[in-house]
Amino acid sequence: MTVENPPSSAIAKPVEQAFLATGDALTALAERTADVDRTVIEIATGALFPAAPSGLAILAVGGYGRRQLFPYSDVDLLLLFESERQALGAKEALSVFLQRLWDSGLRVSHSVRTPAECTEVHDTNTELNISLLDQRYLAGDRVLYARLADKLPRFILANRDALIRNLSQLTRERHAKFANTFYHLEPNVKECPGGLRDYQLICWLTQMRETEAHHLGVAAPSPDIQQAFRFLARLRCYLHCQSGRDNNVLSFEAQDAAAEHWETGRAMGDPADWMRDYYRHARAIYRAGIRQLEASEAQSSSLFAQFRDWRSRLANADFSVHRERAHFRAPQGMDAGPELILRFFEFIARHGIRPSFEAEQQMEARRARLRAQFEQARPVWPALRTILSLPHAPLAVRSMHETGVLTALFPELEAIECLVVRDFYHRYTVDEHTQVAFQNLWNLRAADEQPLASYGGLLSEMQNCGALVFALLFHDSGKGLPGESHIHGSLRLARTAMGRIGTPAQEQEAVLFLIEKHLELSTVMQSRDLFDPQTIRGVAHQVETVERLKALTLLTYADISAVNPNVMTPWRAEQLWQLYLMVYNELTRELESERIGFSVDADLTGPPQRVEFLRGFPVRYLRTHTEAEIDSHMALEEKSRKRGVAVEIRKLESAYQLTMVAAADRPGLFAAAAGTLSSFGMNILKAEAFSNRRGLILDTFTFADPSRTLDLNPTEIDRLRTTAERVIAGKVDVRQLLRNRPKPVLPTRSARVPAKVSFDGKASATATLVEIVAEDRPGLLYDLASAFSSHGCNIEVVLIDTQAHKAIDVFYITAEGRKVEPEQRERLEQALRQACEPGA
Amino acid sequence: MKKIEAIIQPFKLDEVKEALKGIGIDGMTISEVRGHGRQKGHKEVYRGQEYNVDLLPKVKLEMVVAEARADEVVRTLAGAARTGKIGDGKIFISEIAEAIRIRNDDRGESAL
Repeated sequence: MTVENPPSSAIAKPVEQAFLATGDALTALAERTADVDRTVIEIATGALFPAAPSGLAILAVGGYGRRQLFPYSDVDLLLLFESERQALGAKEALSVFLQRLWDSGLRVSHSVRTPAECTEVHDTNTELNISLLDQRYLAGDRVLYARLADKLPRFILANRDALIRNLSQLTRERHAKFANTFYHLEPNVKECPGGLRDYQLICWLTQMRETEAHHLGVAAPSPDIQQAFRFLARLRCYLHCQSGRDNNVLSFEAQDAAAEHWETGRAMGDPADWMRDYYRHARAIYRAGIRQLEASEAQSSSLFAQFRDWRSRLANADFSVHRERAHFRAPQGMDAGPELILRFFEFIARHGIRPSFEAEQQMEARRARLRAQFEQARPVWPALRTILSLPHAPLAVRSMHETGVLTALFPELEAIECLVVRDFYHRYTVDEHTQVAFQNLWNLRAADEQPLASYGGLLSEMQNCGALVFALLFHDSGKGLPGESHIHGSLRLARTAMGRIGTPAQEQEAVLFLIEKHLELSTVMQSRDLFDPQTIRGVAHQVETVERLKALTLLTYADISAVNPNVMTPWRAEQLWQLYLMVYNELTRELESERIGFSVDADLTGPPQRVEFLRGFPVRYLRTHTEAEIDSHMALEEKSRKRGVAVEIRKLESAYQLTMVAAADRPGLFAAAAGTLSSFGMNILKAEAFSNRRGLILDTFTFADPSRTLDLNPTEIDRLRTTAERVIAGKVDVRQLLRNRPKPVLPTRSARVPAKVSFDGKASATATLVEIVAEDRPGLLYDLASAFSSHGCNIEVVLIDTQAHKAIDVFYITAEGRKVEPEQRERLEQALRQACEPGA
Repeated sequence: MKKIEAIIQPFKLDEVKEALKGIGIDGMTISEVRGHGRQKGHKEVYRGQEYNVDLLPKVKLEMVVAEARADEVVRTLAGAARTGKIGDGKIFISEIAEAIRIRNDDRGESAL
């Protein structure tokens, strides 16, 4: 390495000058150690030993003991006294000795101990115990030192479990301070995960493991770890020389300087490229450190071993579980195609068991082949969506990232790997930001304090997390493309990736919307008055539906909270939630008031027949239905002309959908359709009921078939359709059908959702808004709709959503063409509450 | 020297910072705060449940400036933070006895 104009403090020191000229850190560290040895021995000989000619030995410990003394590191000394009395007797001489060391320019960190103290476990001073692994005799009483050197291996052997436990705790705490990641934009090369301290961890654990009764173990890390150590040692040495102090932070300025002067045999003008080298080495050390730590922890904890054994029962025909890690039973199966590897990550996402190191290596070794397999268009979206929705999905995605499977599957994400984008607020590389965002999103599931618990509730209501998480993975992918707005780049990359893996059009559209708008809510919070109705209307028009609003709110939460651990303050979380609430209410209000052809003329285009069909439907209809669906609804209307009603049932991916068109509304129509489905044992998941200007009724029910009646007996689909048509036409009484309805299975008391019924007379000019949140059960919708009918209310617009056993129902109702009167409202509310009761 | 404390609408923060930067004021302390004056609180109903936001989100700016510049700073700040609606916030001005730069012990206005 060569550095122009090195700092003046460095010029004064020959060792540093030599290092800056050669870049040979290990020689520089050894030479500095030798220099300091000479100084310490010389000063001790003059100031300390005359007062304590025996019963005192001076030991070098820590990095100094290892002969790895960095230019501005502290000099760690252990003053070993025969007894405390002797230490007290040499107090004044000791003081003079230390003062002279300081005067000579050394920053000394010393401790005074007896051999007995050195061979005790210090739970609150683990550093003392561990530093003795690197102890080295400098000067003084050799017999005293020999006694300690003799006792030390036996002490470590006898207390290995306790020492490992303490070291493990210390390491975990240190890693937690850095959010358990090495992908920091300005990392501390000593303390960060994957830093020099972790290299030492690897050495210490090996030493302890290999210690025998008569000698301390010796660490011999693998060549790649030694290479990573040499890189980091050189870097730390460079940082010290550059700043003239014990500075271990690789700042942006230091990255620029290092990228310019680091001689690697290739052009390194770009600091971002040079930093990738840093992350590569840090990753090697971090992974090896964690591997050693886990292996040592497992050996020293019987409780862990029991848990580990229990987890091994999760093994299946493809994967085994050993020591809390998942293994491939037949890794060669990966060569046949990507299915096995996808099942592996599904296993991880389902059970929260990390891949074994062998499995990681096996996947890494097949990265090129995997990439070639995934380059061809393959319909892996269903498998991926499953992975992305499971309880431990962030762990699976992180494992995919770390093994290179993620970029093999999506080369589009390669450009953001280890990418440093300099920003004052951001703490992590772009890829790590994405991983942290996903983890933060999933952490909401366990949030029990406001306002985060509200976000957690929102997440539990998401029917399909696949699109949301996919959008999160790609939202910043464009940051790796130079000369293009990152949002445009991300959209382009996501579109290509989704096309290749066969993502259905509807989900593609959801992903692209989220990526395109991922900064929208942040921008509004930052630059718009949230209490101005115009602001809220503006956001509502951008997001268009409640479903999109929920996903965008969660994406915004995850994105902001992954900038750095402190940025999502309760203040900001409340602000985002407030924005969500107001936009949600605006969208609910619009459901009835924003009608096609009245308030939104621009959307009403096309042939006259289509215009006439659409006119008067809520704007939501256009926002939530594709052109093909609109065409099929028009065809259904055509079919209904003869008998006044037409019903269609189609199979969706994991449910069925019943669409009915009726020429005219009548009391109890919606309840009749809902009741028919209930009488067949179907469970309604979603429903919409709209009417257009001509009074045409279009109701859609998405329902689950829990007993698989329709799957196993296709003829039942025809029977259900015919029955629905007869009930809707008034030829069959739905109450007769429901007479033999089986009683629903009730949830346990603790799992029940308390029913909430609220009325809003101001949301619409012509109808009353009724919002109901209740425990879902078969037949609930029929009971609610019947309660409305029996109180003389007409259902104008309905939006029903069921998530996680919770029904969230929005009804706009009228009574004799007007809003519901207060006295009628009271009776109706009572009836609705009764209908919400599980045993109703 | 004068200390200027301003409570402003969060969405006005960037505009205010830019305006102050335009007259050479770069240093300030910014905090996320909650409170209300005449604007009072706000109520939202969400799925049948009332959400009362008694304390509205605001941003607090604090800066100490030379006496001679105080009027200009206040004018600039108020101009950038104003929408004309209730809730725009308040500015408080107080005397500062001394300022000390910790790094080099500079005192008085040269420490600002």
